[in-house]
Amino acid sequence: MLNAEVSAHGTTSNIKHRASNIFWRILGLIIAGIFIYAGAIKALDPVQFASDIDNYKILPWPISVALAFYLPWLEIFCGFALVVRWLYRGALSILTALILVFTLATIAAKVRGLDITCGCFGHASQNWSFPAHLATNVAILSALMALWFQSAAKRSATTAG
Amino acid sequence: MRSSLVRQVLILLALALAPGVGEAVYFRHRISWQSAVLPSELVTVDQARTWGGNVIWVDARPDEEFASDHVPGALSLNEDQWNELLPQFLAVWSPGKKVAVYCSSLSCNASREVARRLRREAQLPDVFVLEGGWEAWLKKNR
Repeated sequence: MLNAEVSAHGTTSNIKHRASNIFWRILGLIIAGIFIYAGAIKALDPVQFASDIDNYKILPWPISVALAFYLPWLEIFCGFALVVRWLYRGALSILTALILVFTLATIAAKVRGLDITCGCFGHASQNWSFPAHLATNVAILSALMALWFQSAAKRSATTAG
Repeated sequence: MRSSLVRQVLILLALALAPGVGEAVYFRHRISWQSAVLPSELVTVDQARTWGGNVIWVDARPDEEFASDHVPGALSLNEDQWNELLPQFLAVWSPGKKVAVYCSSLSCNASREVARRLRREAQLPDVFVLEGGWEAWLKKNR
């Protein structure tokens, strides 16, 4: 009887554990897909992306150009790292830093009264309003933070086990 | 643990460098590292003047600035009302005409964006950005 209860409890716990794993995997893949898509669109048109960065009026033009060539590939590589779970925490850290910088730059532009397109998804995002842009960034940031904490918790559980 | 994280970050940063450099080489003729506008896409007030009646002046500034003053004969075409204003511009444009787009000053981006959209979306040749914008035109004409 006791054995049956322990076994049932173990099965339920296993199912929960698997469901939780699937949830985190799907969330990771969604975030990876977003960054791979965003990176690919910008990598295809770096001239436009340089102009979008320049519109923020934060960086000198040569730096905007350098970032326009570099950042899309960084997003793509980090996205793929999330998919294949290689350099996973490094990718999460970089993407979190990127989205934080993008969000701060957007808020700074709004405060300074600049009416700009974010350039996040190339020209697909050119008509996004400021609240829509901010909400998207906050949602992505929250997902990245959640993935980060989940990864840390998993690591510490593995280490403890 | 921290050193492994730093190593992962550094590897990813380095990996992205190679395609980024490759793309910079590939696009070297389509973007200038010195200025947001390629030198071949810029026109000075004096050069544009020599085109005489063969030039269409396009004012990329917001409506209210256009209403307060503009280059004589200029058409308003800004990104806020692109769809409404573009047909009016195209009605005036004809093959062989040059287009000089301007916004407020050297630092504004609107003229660059409007010029780019005219080239890409309307497929127009001979679209130039006025160097120094409206301020440069005022200096030369008032």
